[in-house]
Amino acid sequence: MKKLLRRLFVLGALAGAGYAAWSYLQGQSPGKENVQIVFDDGSVRALASNTTEGQEFTDIARKLIETGL
Amino acid sequence: MAERSGAGTAEDLDGVIADLRALSEDIESCAVLSGDGDLLSSSHAPGVERERVGAILAALVDLSERLARESGKGQFSQLRIDAGGGHLLVVRLDGGVLAATTGQEARVGLVLYDMRNTRGEVEKVLAEGDDQ
Repeated sequence: MKKLLRRLFVLGALAGAGYAAWSYLQGQSPGKENVQIVFDDGSVRALASNTTEGQEFTDIARKLIETGL
Repeated sequence: MAERSGAGTAEDLDGVIADLRALSEDIESCAVLSGDGDLLSSSHAPGVERERVGAILAALVDLSERLARESGKGQFSQLRIDAGGGHLLVVRLDGGVLAATTGQEARVGLVLYDMRNTRGEVEKVLAEGDDQ
């Protein structure tokens, strides 16, 4: 019985650690790059939706898409 | 729906935009914003909504120019935004921008190609308007 409880405890600890790692990676993972800006020199910069700049562009674009130009 | 002092120019601009929309069926709406932030051509009739769209588009252009300056790149030439429910595409002109919205499933590359090809004609009409 004692052995079974210990195994359950170890399994629970492993599951908890796995979930914590998954949650951490979800928070850290880069968002989808949904803004692409091309400059005069031909270089390109992409902004992800989870950045402040990317969010600013997306919010404005959403308003214009909703109302039409 | 162009609004400009020269009647010929307004009609010419509307004609160019109509041609672009006929060429690129994925375009849902299209507009031309002058360098001064005036909406020269739009699907909206003159009024509050048109002024609002012009102001929002001008804010987007300002934001893009600020990002270009901060990146040390001078100016932006093209902007493409996937907003979830559709795309907003902007091509910079000499003295303004050409903007268009599309649906989510649009062939964005093709629309941008058509917009870049139309850029010269729009710039020509804008230059004619400045001469008048």
